[in-house]
Amino acid sequence: MSRFTRKLRQWTAHLFDLPQDMLSNVPRFTMIGNRQLFVENHRGVVHFSSEHMRLSLVTGELEVFGRNLVIRGIWTEEVFIEGSIIEVKVHGMEDT
Amino acid sequence: MKPPALANWRGYVRVRIRGQYAEQLLNKLSAKQMLIWDVAREEDNQVSFFMMLPDFFRLRPLLKETGCRVHVEARFGLPFSVKQVRKRTFFISGLFLFLLGMYMLSSLIWTIDVKGNERISTDDVLAAAREEGIYPFQWTFRMKKLDTLSKELNARLPSTSWIGVTRQGTKVVIHVVESTVAENRTLRNPSHLIARTDAVVTEIIAKAGRAVVRPNTRVKKGSVLISGIVGSAQAQQAVPAKGVVRGLVWHEYEISSPLISKQKVLTGEFTERHYVQLGERRLQVSGFGDIPYAQYEVTTDVAATSWGRVSLPFGWITEKIAEVQLVAEERSEQAAMQEGLKQARFDIVAKNGPDARVKTEKILHQKSENGKVKLKVLFEVEQSIAVEQPIIH
Repeated sequence: MSRFTRKLRQWTAHLFDLPQDMLSNVPRFTMIGNRQLFVENHRGVVHFSSEHMRLSLVTGELEVFGRNLVIRGIWTEEVFIEGSIIEVKVHGMEDT
Repeated sequence: MKPPALANWRGYVRVRIRGQYAEQLLNKLSAKQMLIWDVAREEDNQVSFFMMLPDFFRLRPLLKETGCRVHVEARFGLPFSVKQVRKRTFFISGLFLFLLGMYMLSSLIWTIDVKGNERISTDDVLAAAREEGIYPFQWTFRMKKLDTLSKELNARLPSTSWIGVTRQGTKVVIHVVESTVAENRTLRNPSHLIARTDAVVTEIIAKAGRAVVRPNTRVKKGSVLISGIVGSAQAQQAVPAKGVVRGLVWHEYEISSPLISKQKVLTGEFTERHYVQLGERRLQVSGFGDIPYAQYEVTTDVAATSWGRVSLPFGWITEKIAEVQLVAEERSEQAAMQEGLKQARFDIVAKNGPDARVKTEKILHQKSENGKVKLKVLFEVEQSIAVEQPIIH
């Protein structure tokens, strides 16, 4: 995506008051308590264990710590994680 | 997560992945849009998840790319149960044999009913039906069409005007409508018609045979009226004589008719008794005590209960007890005589047939004694006098 298109999309999103993830490839995290985490717009699993999990994003990475982590479902765009989540960290998205 | 829709039909497996790059495999699987769920890391660094059976067969190239090994842990769904079932050949063949047997037995004819026949015996109809291919343990699919069957059966049984064949499952019903056949005439042997009593012939009509006597002839009992022998003296022929012969016959009656006639007359007084009926037993409800009348008549009225057509075993009985008086009516000698003559006329008609006509009646003797009128009457009656007598050579 060129710089111009990204700017145009951001501008239209701002103009029509749309959520950011509708137009740009920004990931969306939905968390229900500390039990379930729903990640949209991911770019694959980097590391997966029952305590620690890393998901690749468009820019950067999502890191999840917890106990008994299980991927309930995995699709091309979405991941559904279940378990008792202790910590969620986002890396490499600071400047966008 | 729950297995996707129809997963049980298509079959799904739980697999265990052994290898360094299990995450890569997961990514490739989701990139190829293969459905996997419940991914969990096991203790010994292996990954287990569920996947659909068709996807499992596409797994091999991905395993090679990522250097993983797969082990199937559990199998679910219909394709696997089918495989399980295949091992139990006898059970399955029994199931199919049962179904086959059921089908075969239900496509046999078990019973044949014949309805509506009165003169034709059921066995005859069944025999004709057997020749047309309707018999017990015949295959229903080997039977001809029902309308052709009914036509051919009708042709086979000439004394039927219509035959209907219906089949309900394993039962065939043959409805027979018999044709109305003219009544057979009884064959008669050659005979004369002779006089039953002494009489004077008034009318003679010979329908078959030769009239021997003329009207106004006096005949004795047993004399030939219509001869059964016809033809000339050379070519005689005996036929059963037929015809009408009427004659005047005298009947003597002795009548005694009482001068006092006794009749039962209802006085109008009555009481009622009510009963409840239960099956064969009855329980009196009202009208207790002795009957206050010297002479009485009892009429019983049963009101039975019913439910639709079914009569129920209880009901209500009303007994009406009506007082009766015997009324002695004295009548004149003339009235008593008329009553006696009337009785005698009824008796003549009853004895000599409905075509008997009383021509004249003569009172020969009349006297009244002991409260009775005694009469001696001679009736002259015109009646049929012919009776058949076989010709014996």
